[in-house]
Amino acid sequence: MSLINYSSREINCKIVYYGPGLCGKTTNLQHIYSRVPQETRGKMISLATEMDRTLFFDFLPIELGQIRGFRTRFHLYTVPGQVYYNASRKLILKGVDGVVFVADSQIDRYEANIESLMNMHDNLAEHGLSIEKIPMVIQYNKRDLPRVVSVPDLEKELNPQSHPYYEAVAFRGTGVFDTLKLACKQVLKQLG
Amino acid sequence: MVKGNWALFEEDFWAINQILQTLMRSSSARSVMLIDKTGQLINSIGEPPGFDVTSFSSLAAADFAANEQLAEMVGETDFATLVHQGAKDSLFLQLISNRVILVVLFDRKTSLGLVRLKARRASDELLDVLQRLFEKLQYRNEEVGPPSLGADFAAEAESEIDSLFRD
Repeated sequence: MSLINYSSREINCKIVYYGPGLCGKTTNLQHIYSRVPQETRGKMISLATEMDRTLFFDFLPIELGQIRGFRTRFHLYTVPGQVYYNASRKLILKGVDGVVFVADSQIDRYEANIESLMNMHDNLAEHGLSIEKIPMVIQYNKRDLPRVVSVPDLEKELNPQSHPYYEAVAFRGTGVFDTLKLACKQVLKQLG
Repeated sequence: MVKGNWALFEEDFWAINQILQTLMRSSSARSVMLIDKTGQLINSIGEPPGFDVTSFSSLAAADFAANEQLAEMVGETDFATLVHQGAKDSLFLQLISNRVILVVLFDRKTSLGLVRLKARRASDELLDVLQRLFEKLQYRNEEVGPPSLGADFAAEAESEIDSLFRD
């Protein structure tokens, strides 16, 4: 639910990074924060536990600059991945314009991905949304690790609707910007 | 309640601005902000705050959302107002039309009672403006489709995205 302010000529869009615990959602935002020019990014807010696990959300505002006279901003959020923080996840999805689903490619996390994806569908439905109505990009993260599920197998289970996807190694930055770029473009396409 | 994207038009913006100005003056507040419930800043007036208003808005919305869940757990529909009292500065937050949050930042030059009273009056006025706006948007989203930014917008945005997001 983007907000277009015709008076101050601003457009704000919300993109949420979703996925199971420790899949690399926060790492994606940290990489983006470290690489975009300082003048285009706001403060990164992390509501995390003492163990650096996301408690409520991470938030990073990014400004694209003036586009056709509109100051255009993306608000990037992550959800807490741990199963018991579902109430928080639901809140963060409110008003979402686009989703990045970060899947953990490791064999051990295969079930956790499926569970998280189903949970996302349920939580979107509670806001009257569905993934057919809002853009989604899937990121298969941790592709550098030894025991990973093959991309075709991940695709079969997590992406039957053939949403666009990228392979990534978020802590090195591989695939992070490709994912973000596509998510942003898809969100703006819906506005235009 | 309007569904889909929402837009703020010139006349509504100035009507809202006027109400916020009056509220700030009459309550002797430091600044007043109006925030969408999803965490996006609609308008901010008063002393330029010494903090990042974009982050502030997302946290204020999250604060409200968390409190709404707490309200539900204790059998309330919502906690329509929240107050955070500090040693020097305090915050008064009021939910309007279940859609936007009015935030008043004030210090010891005024009192919570006065802020609450003036904020209530401003909320009623804002409600009128917002209802008119939502009716307009309801019509646009259902009958006309969402406001369009023009075909060139997406193309220009894409090239901006490509140049900004790269390693």
